[in-house]
Amino acid sequence: MLEKALYGSKRYWTWIIFLLAVIGVGCLTYLKQLNEGLGITGLSRDVSWGLYIGQFTFLVGVAASAVMLVIPYYLHDFKKFGKIVILGEFLAVSAVIMCILFIMADMGQPMRVANILLHPTPGSIVFWDVVVLNGYLLLNLIIGWTTLGADRKGVKPPDWVKPLIYLSVPWAVSIHTVTAFLYAGIPGRHFWLTAVMAARFLASAFAGGPALLIILALLVRKFSKFDPGTEAIQAIGKIVTYAMFANVFLLGLEFFTAFYSNIPGHMHPFKYLYVGLEGHTKLVPLMWTSSILAVVSLVLLVFPSVRKKEGILAFACISLFTSLWIDKGFGLIIGGFIPNMFEGVTEYWPTLPESMITLGVWAIGFLVLTVLYKVVIAVREDDTAVEH
Amino acid sequence: MINRRDFLKNTAIGIAGITLPLAAFEIIRPEKILANMSGTSKTRWVFLVDTYKCVGCGLCVKACKNENEIPYDANVTRTWVERYVITKDGKLHADTPKGARDGFTTSRIELGQGKYEEIRDEDIIKAFFVPKLCNQCENPPCVQVCPVGATYQVPDGVVLVDRKWCIGCGYCIMGCPYGVRFFHPKYHTAEKCNFCYHRITKGLKTACVSACPFGARQIGNLKDPGDPVTKVIMTERVGILKEEYGTKPQVFYLGLDREVK
Repeated sequence: MLEKALYGSKRYWTWIIFLLAVIGVGCLTYLKQLNEGLGITGLSRDVSWGLYIGQFTFLVGVAASAVMLVIPYYLHDFKKFGKIVILGEFLAVSAVIMCILFIMADMGQPMRVANILLHPTPGSIVFWDVVVLNGYLLLNLIIGWTTLGADRKGVKPPDWVKPLIYLSVPWAVSIHTVTAFLYAGIPGRHFWLTAVMAARFLASAFAGGPALLIILALLVRKFSKFDPGTEAIQAIGKIVTYAMFANVFLLGLEFFTAFYSNIPGHMHPFKYLYVGLEGHTKLVPLMWTSSILAVVSLVLLVFPSVRKKEGILAFACISLFTSLWIDKGFGLIIGGFIPNMFEGVTEYWPTLPESMITLGVWAIGFLVLTVLYKVVIAVREDDTAVEH
Repeated sequence: MINRRDFLKNTAIGIAGITLPLAAFEIIRPEKILANMSGTSKTRWVFLVDTYKCVGCGLCVKACKNENEIPYDANVTRTWVERYVITKDGKLHADTPKGARDGFTTSRIELGQGKYEEIRDEDIIKAFFVPKLCNQCENPPCVQVCPVGATYQVPDGVVLVDRKWCIGCGYCIMGCPYGVRFFHPKYHTAEKCNFCYHRITKGLKTACVSACPFGARQIGNLKDPGDPVTKVIMTERVGILKEEYGTKPQVFYLGLDREVK
């Protein structure tokens, strides 16, 4: 089936070459990092995780969100998701690949990554994260590829794939729960030491991931003859709305606990993020952008008649996705490191090489996504040809 | 079927089990610190810092950097000295320029990014220096989070990092509540104080202890009741950092101020 990705329009190839160019720049920059170490990034003793791990955290959510399509379609027989569920699964595949690459990018000694499996350490959450992420990648690849292959031949997917699909549901929840546990179990990191962390992660994932999927589905429809389905897109819009409200609610809970308890350690990271701390305000504009975009997206999404208009839906989804990308892919991680363990402030901002590497990884993700979606589109366009 | 004899026996064990922890709470003696120590090793390395004696000369930091292959000019140190200045307005001013590698050569407080704060002598209520180093916790969070077992605790209590096995994921750096870990600029692996393990296991003092001209730093064996460090820890009023996290740090401070984080 993969050969279908080898035939495409000029526009398709221009896009592929553009991605390859970005990947090339990213790879060259990465070689520099490999040589000189993480010193070329903005990371420091006080802020030891930054953009890379932020992107990783955010993308685990995108990957997990496929379950929002799998549950209605496979568990509730919601037929309208029949065409779009594969887009969700392949989005998960590319998101997990990006996750793995971002972890690799953050390692000081990436050549030794196999040590995680050579010396399994079940006490470490990173160990479990590696296990569940790779498992999830494998599950989605197998499920996506098998169902698409069956679809192409016009037959039902083989029976053995059903248990895997059911397994992928709790597995999706597990990848994001485990990722939240990376943060939520660390003594001395007040910002992250909260029991709602995993719940908040899941809520933001189920808002952000499907929002991205809506944008992608609209793009697929625009640029190909394959229509994932208007009703399916609207149904996802509903999911995004609920999940985003849940996410904002959970964030509100965090604010209450921090400020009503009046415990400095809990208030300081929030103050740093939203108003600045001791004159340090680097992240304040970003966080307010995120908050405003969140409100804008919710206002547009909450009225069914408004979100029915696809232009508005797309705008709302872009706002929402950007909002969550800032909040979870950046603020949530950096905020946990500020103030530092000595209640001082060391700010963080990604450097140019760090940003190039990050863009490179995103480009790899988009390349994988493009190729996989191209195959899907080709198969579906064939179907349409047969039907007509 | 449970017979009467077993029932009585189990009940007795059950009651004993319930009362035992209560009894343990009733008698709190210095020996309790010893009872906390796990393992059968005859040694438990501990550190004693006398903050009254520290003048912030930074000789310990210099010695440590040279001893442990920490690039001299890189802004990372295994041990460092913090300066605390509390002014009449109740404000706390703290700094540690270059980890106090060159001592504190000016009365100005470093604010970072090349900025300084001038403090007039007459405004100062109290000021003091606090050396910091790895606490070699009895319950080390860094060991818990390491995904490859590259950081581990040896039976005599010291937490070590294997530079050849560490993957440099940075999880332990993030997980240490004392901020003592950092990335080694050259090896690209996690790095921290290990009480100069290569020295203490050969009967030497740590580099910082040897370098301190004022005796502000001492290393000892808590399991040896005759050790002068042990005697101080058992009989004097000593403090530890961030007790509330349950990490059981093993660096004890004489004269620890409440402002010290």
